[in-house]
Amino acid sequence: MREMIKMVVVLTVLSCFSGGLLAYVRSSTKEQIENQVLEFVKGPAIRTILQGASNDPITDRFNLKVGDREETFFVGNIDGQPSAVAFETSGKGFGGDVGLMVGIDVKNDKFLGVSVTTHGETPGMGARAKTDPGFVAQFKGLGLKQTLKVTQDGGTINALSGATITSRAVCSASDEAIKIYKTLKPQLVEKLKDFKN
Amino acid sequence: MGDLFLLAISCILINNILLAQYLGNCPFMGTSKKMETAVGMAMAVIFVLVMAGVLTWLTDTYFLKKFDLEYLRTVAFILVIAALVQFVEMFLKKSIPALYAGLGIFLPLITTNCAVMGVCLININEEYNFLQALVASFGYAAGFGLALILFAGVRERILLARVPRPLQDTSIALVTAGILSLAFFAFKGMV
Amino acid sequence: MAKSLTQEFVKGLWNEVPPFRLVLGLCPTLAVTKSVENGIGMGIATTFVLVCSNVLISSLRKVIPSKVRIACYIVIIATFVTVVELVMQAFAYPLFLKLGIFIPLIVVNCIVLGRAEAFASKFGVFRSFLDGLGMGVGFTLSLMALAAVRELFGTGFLTFWVTPIRIFGPSYQPFSFLVEAPGAFMALGLMLCLMNLVGKK
Repeated sequence: MREMIKMVVVLTVLSCFSGGLLAYVRSSTKEQIENQVLEFVKGPAIRTILQGASNDPITDRFNLKVGDREETFFVGNIDGQPSAVAFETSGKGFGGDVGLMVGIDVKNDKFLGVSVTTHGETPGMGARAKTDPGFVAQFKGLGLKQTLKVTQDGGTINALSGATITSRAVCSASDEAIKIYKTLKPQLVEKLKDFKN
Repeated sequence: MGDLFLLAISCILINNILLAQYLGNCPFMGTSKKMETAVGMAMAVIFVLVMAGVLTWLTDTYFLKKFDLEYLRTVAFILVIAALVQFVEMFLKKSIPALYAGLGIFLPLITTNCAVMGVCLININEEYNFLQALVASFGYAAGFGLALILFAGVRERILLARVPRPLQDTSIALVTAGILSLAFFAFKGMV
Repeated sequence: MAKSLTQEFVKGLWNEVPPFRLVLGLCPTLAVTKSVENGIGMGIATTFVLVCSNVLISSLRKVIPSKVRIACYIVIIATFVTVVELVMQAFAYPLFLKLGIFIPLIVVNCIVLGRAEAFASKFGVFRSFLDGLGMGVGFTLSLMALAAVRELFGTGFLTFWVTPIRIFGPSYQPFSFLVEAPGAFMALGLMLCLMNLVGKK
C-alpha cells in the first residue's frame, strides 16, 4: 500500500513540475514564436515580390476569410500608395504541396511576381522552382485574364526542364490565386484604404 | 474513396516510413536478422500503430486543440503511446496468450520506436481528418512491415555471403538498406 | 567499474559513441544529416535533453519507485524535449523548420532513454552529468561528420551556420544521391566500415 501511494505521489509531483515548467516556457516564448513564423516562412518571399515597397509588408497585414479558412494578406506600399497585396496559395507538386506566395498589383490587375515558399520537391530538379530566378520571373507582369499553363499544355510558361510537374504546380497555384483575388477584390480594395497614411 | 486509396499507396510505397522518412530505423536494424523476429515485429507495429494513430488523433482533436494546449503535444502523445502499449500487453497476456507469445517481447520496444510516434505527429502535421489519419496510420505501418520483411529476407542471404571484415554486421546491413531504399525511391512521383 | 570522471566523459566520444558503436538513435542520424547545420542543431538539442534528463533522473533515483520508473523517465524526457522545441522555435526558427518532427522525436531517441535506464538510474549526479555530456558531444560530432560527408559531396557546399560555403568550384557536379534517403543509409554504412577499419580492437 505504501509503495502504491509513493508511486502516485511521485508521478503527480513530476507531472505538476513538468506542466508548470512548460507553461512558463511557453508563455515567455509565445510572442517571439509568432513573429519568427511570419518572418522566416513567408518573409523572404514577400520581400522579393513586393520589392520597392516603402513599408514593411510583414507588419502591415490583415486577415480575410477565403472559403472556410483565414488567409493573411500582406500589404505593399508601392509609389507611396498601398496598391499591392501578397498572399499564399498552393498547388500539388511532385513531393506534396508547393506553397506559393503571389503578389498582385491591385491598381492594374497584374502579377507583381510569385515566389515559392514551401515545397518537398527533389533537390536539383523541382526544387529549382524556388532557387532559379528565371522561372518565376516569367510570371512577372502577367495579366489576370488567362489561365496559366506550361508550354507542354499549350500555355505560355516555359517549364523547368525535368520538372514539369513542379512547374504545373506553380501554375495551378497562381491560377488559384487569381480566383481568390477575383472573388475578394472589392473587400481587398476596401481594406487597402485603411493602410493609407 | 480514390483519395484514400492513393493516400494508402503513398504511405506504403512512396513515403515508406523506413526507407524514405528514416523513421523507426533502430528496430529495422535490430530485428531484421531473422525472418521470424522481423515478422513478429512487423505485426506488433501494425497492431499498435493503427491504434496509436487513432488514439493520438482523438487526443489532439478533442483535447489538446480544444483547450489550446498544443505545446503539450509531445508529452501527451508519448504518454498515450506508452499507456497503450502497457494496456495492449496486459490485455494480450490475459486473453490471447497465443498472440502474446508471438508479439509479447516486441511490445515494450515499440514505445521507443520512433515510427509510431513519428506517424502520430505526421497525422497531425498534415492536418488529416479522422479517416485519413486511420488510413495513413495503417499505410505507414504496412509499409514498415513490408520493408522490414523484405529486408530480413535479404539479410538472411547476406549471412551466407562472404563479407569483408570491416563491413560486417551493421555496416553491410546499412549499405543493403541503402540499395533497398533506392528501389523504393523509384516510386517517387507515382501519385 | 570505478572509472575516473574523465573516462566517464571520454567514453562517449569514441569507445561508445552513440550512433556508430551502440547503433542507437539511427533515425535522427540518417534524417537530419543533409547539412552540417542541421547536424549541429540536432546534436545540441539532443545533448541538452540528455544532460538535463540524466541529471534530474540521477538526483531523483532514490525517490522514483522502480515499478513506474519508465513512466517517470518518459515524463521527464518529454518535458525537456518540449522546452527545446519551444526555445528553438523562438530563437532559431529556420533550423526548427528544417529539423521538423525530429525535434519532438528526441523523446523516442533510444540514446536518451537508454542512458537514463543504463546509467543515470544507478550513478550519482555529477557522473551522470558527465556521461550525458560525453554521449551528447559524441552524438553531435558523429552527426557533424556524417553530415559533412553527405553535404560536401552531395552539393559541393558546407553549411555551418545559415549561409552555405562553396567548397568545390562551380564545375563540380554534385553527387546529389548522397543527400537523398538511399545515400544516407550507404554513407552511414560506409562510415561505420571506416570506423571498424581504423579502430579495430
